[in-house]
Amino acid sequence: MTDVKELLKRQARWQKSRQQLTWPEKIRMAEQVRDSVVALRRGSTGDRLADGPSKSAGRRTDA
Amino acid sequence: MQRRGVITSYALFGATAQMRYTEPVATLDADVLVQVPDPERLDVLADIYSFCAEKGYTTEGEAVRVGAWPAQFVPVFSDLTREAIREAETADFEGAALRVVRADHLAVIALSVGRAKDFARILALIESGCVDGNAIKDLAARHGLAAAWQRFEARFLHD
Repeated sequence: MTDVKELLKRQARWQKSRQQLTWPEKIRMAEQVRDSVVALRRGSTGDRLADGPSKSAGRRTDA
Repeated sequence: MQRRGVITSYALFGATAQMRYTEPVATLDADVLVQVPDPERLDVLADIYSFCAEKGYTTEGEAVRVGAWPAQFVPVFSDLTREAIREAETADFEGAALRVVRADHLAVIALSVGRAKDFARILALIESGCVDGNAIKDLAARHGLAAAWQRFEARFLHD
């Protein structure tokens, strides 16, 4: 369990260190993750669900 | 788009804006807060979509593919988002000037939406050191979200 905790701590430290990247570098990393996610979704669920649920479902508007 | 009067102002928000302040996060699109000349129109985004189509940008569902990113245009929908767009900062993005919502506004907008990933955004922004709890608390109170902030604090920030 200690090993797992240490692993998680190291992962958290690594993740936080990514804050030091420049904004464009972070955007490029996010692009790569996004492309992987889209490719995985297409592979597992077919094209219809490739892009995920609609974002407008999460938005609140003034009544 | 601004020069043509299609929008009067814009600012990047959501996850792509968050990344200016925190570590990279996973996101599928770029959210762009926009202020339009006639916000009462039923088809409030129609002129934006027409403009993008003229420029050869194609739609992908609700978003418009601009370069590498699907861009989702969100018209300002509250006093909070109006203030966020008005007080947005201008940042340099590889030589291009981009308006981006401030960290405190990002946090309070996230608080107002209230999904799990919005709470994660608030925590990431606080952990990054770009905004502190007091600033969020004050801004939240000014926009009728004092109770929401109290609940968030009790749930995530107090041991």
